[in-house]
Amino acid sequence: MDIYTARFGKLEIADEEVILFADGLIGFENLVNWILLSDEQSEDLGWLQSLQQPEVALAVVSPRRFAPEYRVRMEKEESSPLRLTADDEVFVLTIVSKHDDSLTINLRAPVVINLTKQLGLQIVTTDEQPLQYEIQSEPSVYRKSA
Amino acid sequence: MLVLSRHRDESIMIGDNIVITIVDIRGDKVRLGIAAPQDIPVHRQEVYEAIQRENQQAARLQPNEAAALRKTK
Repeated sequence: MDIYTARFGKLEIADEEVILFADGLIGFENLVNWILLSDEQSEDLGWLQSLQQPEVALAVVSPRRFAPEYRVRMEKEESSPLRLTADDEVFVLTIVSKHDDSLTINLRAPVVINLTKQLGLQIVTTDEQPLQYEIQSEPSVYRKSA
Repeated sequence: MLVLSRHRDESIMIGDNIVITIVDIRGDKVRLGIAAPQDIPVHRQEVYEAIQRENQQAARLQPNEAAALRKTK
């Protein structure tokens, strides 16, 4: 099917590429159908694009690159919408945002995707991870925000 | 808003499958136990609202602003 996006224009996608977020994302509770796009120029950067609202897309990166020690801690029950089994391939992503001149990632509420079943969920971690973990500011230096 | 008085170890029920129990009271802090079905997410309000704002801010990001995250090879 063809989808229209505000940032990337018209895209042709296969039905099996659609990721179902049954609860939506936090603040976007009604948006349940998403697709994960890889950036044209980099495999390290992805975009979680809503299929329902063309203008809603979230830049996502693997937290491993910026916070190697990071672990997702959550209540066991919270992951139930992902219907995880031992053989499923799971992807943890963090959402990129911009505050003033700094790019930040949200370690408090990562996005977890069960790639095998194409199910996604935004989790609120049980430990107090930063919502705005600074990963790059101008000029480009990497440092940790408080 | 409905306001109820409860003692420690007493509970309230919301519908027939959500039970909120007063676990402990110390000064101005109350500890609550919440038993709810798995499909009902339970969040601290201020944390949830902060994540809502964060997601909405993130949705404004444009590809050129994220370009710095591309690894240079």
